[in-house]
Amino acid sequence: MLTERELQINPIVQESVLHNTKTLTTLHNLTASLFGVGAGILGLESYLGFVFYLIFSLITSALVYAFRVRPGIVKEYFRSSIELWTGGLFEGLSGFVLTWTLFYGLVRA
Amino acid sequence: MTWISKSVTGLGLLLLTHACYSAHEHSALHSTSTASLSSMASHTAVASTVASLPIDISIETVVAVFVICLGLVLGTPELRPIQWRVWAGKIEREGEKGFTNSDGNVDKDYVGNPFRMLESRPGFIDIRKQRKEFAEWVREGGGTAGASKS
Repeated sequence: MLTERELQINPIVQESVLHNTKTLTTLHNLTASLFGVGAGILGLESYLGFVFYLIFSLITSALVYAFRVRPGIVKEYFRSSIELWTGGLFEGLSGFVLTWTLFYGLVRA
Repeated sequence: MTWISKSVTGLGLLLLTHACYSAHEHSALHSTSTASLSSMASHTAVASTVASLPIDISIETVVAVFVICLGLVLGTPELRPIQWRVWAGKIEREGEKGFTNSDGNVDKDYVGNPFRMLESRPGFIDIRKQRKEFAEWVREGGGTAGASKS
């Protein structure tokens, strides 16, 4: 965590932090429902579905890391790298379960 | 950049739709075949109603999800630097050009130069220098303009 002294030396722009977080959360919400569709088509059940979600969320974060954050300088866009890798992981979970059950039911009607 | 992301997402959606339809058809076919089988032989176990998908449909689904994911990531707006010095330097260097979205419009939350207030402080105007410049302008340009008019 940043101390107050470091914040005074290197001030942080709140609008940019908000913009980055919002971009990441929107992306994770969109992709989570998409992963739900995929898991429903594959017919995954119980833990396998959540593992599927976890793996693909990490892949999404890796793609963001590769294409949007130029590799090596996570600190320029996020306060910590944890924020990049786990941000939006839990917001998307409800959307994932929703589309997962929907498509599971639709495909195996 | 934006047409790339849109076409990649569209391709992925097409693949996903096809995979979904194939999976649905497979399950429908399988259930009818098992139903006919179980009606023929009443003692056969109908435990495996949910058969595992063929491997090609699984692969197509995973590839489709990955492709859509790639397209969505390519379509996200650029991230902004959060450190004040990097951010202000970017604004100084690029101006509005660095904060345009994919449609070519400037973002709504673009605030402009953060040091705008410092650069136009009325207390720091050199009023004597400006008066001298104005006097010179009157003596040279302003005078001829007035003479030509009259």
